[in-house]
Amino acid sequence: MTTQTSKPAASRAVWGVPLLLAAGAVTIILPLVHPMNGYILNLFMQAATYAMAVLGLTVVLGYTGQISLAQAAFFGLGAYGVAIGTTMLHWPFLLALLLGVAVAALLGAVLGASTLKLGGHYLAMVTISFQQILTLVLTNWIGLTNGPDGVRNIPRPSLFGLSLADSDRYLALCLVALYAVGFFVWWLKRTKLGLGMQAVRDNELAAEVVGVDTYRVKVTAFCLSALLGGLGGGLFAGGFGYISPDQFSFNESVVFMTMVLLGGADAAVGSAIGTVLLILLPEWLRFLRGAYLAVYGLAVILIMVFMPTGLWGLLSRLGGPPRLRERGVPEVLTLGGGAGSGETLLEIKGLAKHFGGLKALDGVDISVERGKVHALIGPNGSGKTTMLNVLSGIYKPTRGEVLVDGVKVSGRPPHELAAAGVGRTFQNIRLFHSLTVLENVVIGAQRPNNSAATTPDEVQRRAMAALDLVGMAARADLKVASLPYGHQRLVEIARALAGNPALLLLDEPAAGLNLTEKQELVGLLKRLAGHGLTLFLIDHDMNLVEQMADRITVLNFGKRIAEGAPAEVLRHPDVIAAYLGEVPDDAAA
Amino acid sequence: MAIFLQLLFTGVGIGSVYALVALGFVLIYRATNVVNFAQGEFAMLGAYAMVVLTQDLALPYWLAIPISLVIMAVVGALFNLGVYYPLRHRSFLPVVISTIGASILLTNSVLVGYGPQPESLQGMFDFPGFQIGEVFLDSQYLLIIVVTILLVAFQYFFFEHTLLGKKMQATSQDKEMASLLGIPVARMIMLTFIYSALLGGLAGILVAPIMFVSVGLGSQVALKAFAASIIGGFGDVTGAVVGGLSLGIIETFGAAYISVPYKDAFAFLVLFGFLLIRPQGLFGEKVAQKA
Amino acid sequence: MSIRHVTAGAIAALALGYGAADAGEIKIGMVTPITGPAAESGKYAQIGAKMAIEEVNAAGGVNGNTLTLVTEDDQTTNPGIIAAFSRLSTQTDIPVFLGSIRSTQVDAMSPDVMKVGKPVFIGGTAPQLTHQGNKWLFRCRPNDSYSARVIADYGVDTLGLKKWAVVHSTDAFGTGGMNALVAALKAKGLTPALVQGYPNQSPDFSAVVLAVKSSGADVMGSYFTFETDLGTFAKQVKQLGVTAKWVGSPSITDASAIKLAGPALNGTFGIADFAAGSSDEAKAFAAKYEGIAKALADNQSSWTYDAVHIAAKAMIDTKSTDPEKLRDAILAIKGYKGAEGTYNFDQNGDGLHGYNVVKNEGGKMVFDKHVEYTD
Repeated sequence: MTTQTSKPAASRAVWGVPLLLAAGAVTIILPLVHPMNGYILNLFMQAATYAMAVLGLTVVLGYTGQISLAQAAFFGLGAYGVAIGTTMLHWPFLLALLLGVAVAALLGAVLGASTLKLGGHYLAMVTISFQQILTLVLTNWIGLTNGPDGVRNIPRPSLFGLSLADSDRYLALCLVALYAVGFFVWWLKRTKLGLGMQAVRDNELAAEVVGVDTYRVKVTAFCLSALLGGLGGGLFAGGFGYISPDQFSFNESVVFMTMVLLGGADAAVGSAIGTVLLILLPEWLRFLRGAYLAVYGLAVILIMVFMPTGLWGLLSRLGGPPRLRERGVPEVLTLGGGAGSGETLLEIKGLAKHFGGLKALDGVDISVERGKVHALIGPNGSGKTTMLNVLSGIYKPTRGEVLVDGVKVSGRPPHELAAAGVGRTFQNIRLFHSLTVLENVVIGAQRPNNSAATTPDEVQRRAMAALDLVGMAARADLKVASLPYGHQRLVEIARALAGNPALLLLDEPAAGLNLTEKQELVGLLKRLAGHGLTLFLIDHDMNLVEQMADRITVLNFGKRIAEGAPAEVLRHPDVIAAYLGEVPDDAAA
Repeated sequence: MAIFLQLLFTGVGIGSVYALVALGFVLIYRATNVVNFAQGEFAMLGAYAMVVLTQDLALPYWLAIPISLVIMAVVGALFNLGVYYPLRHRSFLPVVISTIGASILLTNSVLVGYGPQPESLQGMFDFPGFQIGEVFLDSQYLLIIVVTILLVAFQYFFFEHTLLGKKMQATSQDKEMASLLGIPVARMIMLTFIYSALLGGLAGILVAPIMFVSVGLGSQVALKAFAASIIGGFGDVTGAVVGGLSLGIIETFGAAYISVPYKDAFAFLVLFGFLLIRPQGLFGEKVAQKA
Repeated sequence: MSIRHVTAGAIAALALGYGAADAGEIKIGMVTPITGPAAESGKYAQIGAKMAIEEVNAAGGVNGNTLTLVTEDDQTTNPGIIAAFSRLSTQTDIPVFLGSIRSTQVDAMSPDVMKVGKPVFIGGTAPQLTHQGNKWLFRCRPNDSYSARVIADYGVDTLGLKKWAVVHSTDAFGTGGMNALVAALKAKGLTPALVQGYPNQSPDFSAVVLAVKSSGADVMGSYFTFETDLGTFAKQVKQLGVTAKWVGSPSITDASAIKLAGPALNGTFGIADFAAGSSDEAKAFAAKYEGIAKALADNQSSWTYDAVHIAAKAMIDTKSTDPEKLRDAILAIKGYKGAEGTYNFDQNGDGLHGYNVVKNEGGKMVFDKHVEYTD
């Protein structure tokens, strides 16, 4: 059976690419043949170099959702790399540029490393501190940077024997670099790394559970962002010939941040729009003389209030709802991942999890056979969700261990558990809300060690197959946020299935579904079990549990109080007492 | 020894200024989960209000202070309506950027209206201060320290022992629940902004005689105050005060015994250290995420 | 994205508003802070320039033409002045420009000045500005190598004090001044007891003042950039009981410093390139300026006043606006008495080579003496 792989944006680009290339070529050639005055050349040089730094913010903030108010610091590092390299070390321009970019990227990675423990406001403060310290170092380490005097007479390079000293030629260099960077950032969004970044932004916990190494993604994002900032800064230094520390202060970081938010943080085009606008705006507002900065501040507020996704977000929405692509017939989804063949797939031994004085789990043993459906029930607070969280790696156990296919997995981070073949859905659906249905499932398919999807092509096909199994293939190109709750649940399951799990953990899968949807879900889960997938689920609906489960374990106060086939467990006096209180005589059949 | 005491006094004095501004940060953050980058500008506006009232309108000092505070209350209310309220349902990043925009707007509006030349504001008292042995206690710094102590005491009493204070606490801890209990959340938030603007304005009025009144007054203090509130524990009122005092002392001693040009760096290095090792600061709650 | 670039550029070009000179008009281009922290002094600079223009026109203009002033806002930033200057220089009929009093800004625009190739008058005092091979910069204030020597000479020779504390801002101006002062003291065989830098916009100077006190210095030399820092420092000097004499860089003589610091500056000495009592020309300028600006005259306006007059003189002497001819004419100017002092241009483009020393007596700046160097 042949399948048609869905092409990425290539089809749309058939006529778009030559047009863009032509337009890009025009802007590069125009200044060379038609003399432009120095003022405009300076303006464009500033716009081009700033745009590169802002594109860096697109990567770290727009794609990955991490706040960086240190972009001016990296811009400055690149600029000083070029300045010091050329004027003090007498290196050729390109080598000095490489120096600046390398230092910036290195420090960017260091800053990214701080995300291990921090996010949100705290991360913002770390980046601000970094920025402030760097400005102080640039100003006071006179031996290295020439201090507040700045560095002057920064030369421009010669490429292939052609001198770029003239502003129009240097601008051409900047524009070529900008277009290359812009293309890279645009292309990045669709790669595995790019999808991983957006997953981290939309729902970091889910990303981790689905197999994305979130820490590495964040460090990479910071590193890339700093690299682009440094590149812009290095070219800026060559452009203006003179740099001083006050040009790379916290204020400039704020300017970069405003540019990326104004244009639209999550699109490369947005960065360009924001940069151009905010560089030209003060020039247009010159006539306002003293008041223009006040107007600027007011404009920032108004933009934030009325255009949250930035200008590009506004413009792209004008294009109408997403068009559904023709993808051909999806293949049938293969299930039953996991390399082992032993009878016991999941082994939980003496598992304990304490939160301070609270013993959420207090020494639990469970054994789950391959291909079976095992349910975990118990009253509220009995430790069910804690159990699931330990199983998916979100918590480290206080004592005891978990083995999957005989391999110890407890204590490892969630993305490694995903790599070991553990898939999971959440009680409160955790999808990547700004992405499409297909993109969500593709991220699931991209989990490391997925034997069913080793090439990008296979990943796409597996994702479509998973969607087809749950009945959502026709909605592949819709944004998940626009789907009704029941459909979102199905997409979440498809995402877990795309990862070809050996074990699928389901946390109250029927929560929020109506009767019909519940029955459909039961049917789906039974089909999955029929394919040989091992299911481990929590739910409160005893009907559903009774229909689905081969074996049930009951928890109360973190201890196992009963285990066995549904019929006997659900009538067990201890179980009834746990749920209803100490009146066993009134047990309902 | 005399030098040590002198530096200690100055450190506590400047630290109290940071503490006052930090208190304003923390209150708004607790109520709205928003970091207000324009908090420093509240201080600047308070100082300028005093300048206009005492110099241009030649009002007596004791009258100008309450009028300035009323003006700041209005500013706080307008700020809430214009900057926070329209964005209250969004994620925190647009709001933060919006407050940055407000900071630029406020700074430059004053610049347009009043000009960039720094003004001096006379201190509360005519006499410059007390000489105790070899240590000179500047009277304005003394005033700042006393006011800060009184304010912290008042704040403790207000938030812990009055119904209104408890309602505001409830709103800051769980808006939804508070509203379900019949607490008018929007009004509580408005009160929070007004109170924070008052705090900021008061800090500005107190520090102006020492630092002079210029449009940059806000940003000089704000960043340090923000760092102070993180060191103390973001979201904790005691933390803001302790953090502010600590920062003032670290800065002053760092300047005297290590290096004056890098004294700003000490503040940020300490902040850096805290963020990496103990992000919840001295008194804050652990920074954790619910699964 | 790229199309937007071009469109935006076109709109910007249109918005530039090329202005052609009226017949019989010569434009003088001026980049000046209209926004940003130095906007107030920018105002004064413009008043000085316009005063001179009016005087030149009243005396018959330049070669039959009237002078007008064209300004661009440099926003008190380096990128701002580059943009402002390049924007101004698109008006190709401007023969002569007035630049900045801030040395880092002059540094920033220097490459563009070279490209444009027309005379630019500056007020920045960093010595290297006229020593880096840019032949189009002409300085209408004495540079800091002289200011430091005057401070050292006055303190050691006139006041007879040999134990120095040098207090300076860590920015470009302060650091440059400090280096020059330490060198000047060394030339007299003296090493300062203390060299203490401080970062701009500090709310508290206790550490610095206590360091001065501990050093036992009997005289302070200072380079302060901002009057607010000066005011805070001065007050704390008095409060913490430092009795050393004080000879400071020009900011100590500024009207706003006196306003802010009040009596704390009584008895201090300042070097001032502009001092109303230093010459008849200075007196006349100050009187007329105060009538127009309703503020005390200082070096923000005196140098632009002199620059315009010198530019006019060069154009009249050569009967032309050709850049090379103007350059030769300016360099040939000797003994021209301006508001700042007597101009003798050297080959580097420095017009002034000395400073006035003034004393603050009860809030009034009293002229003490002028120290001139021939090198």
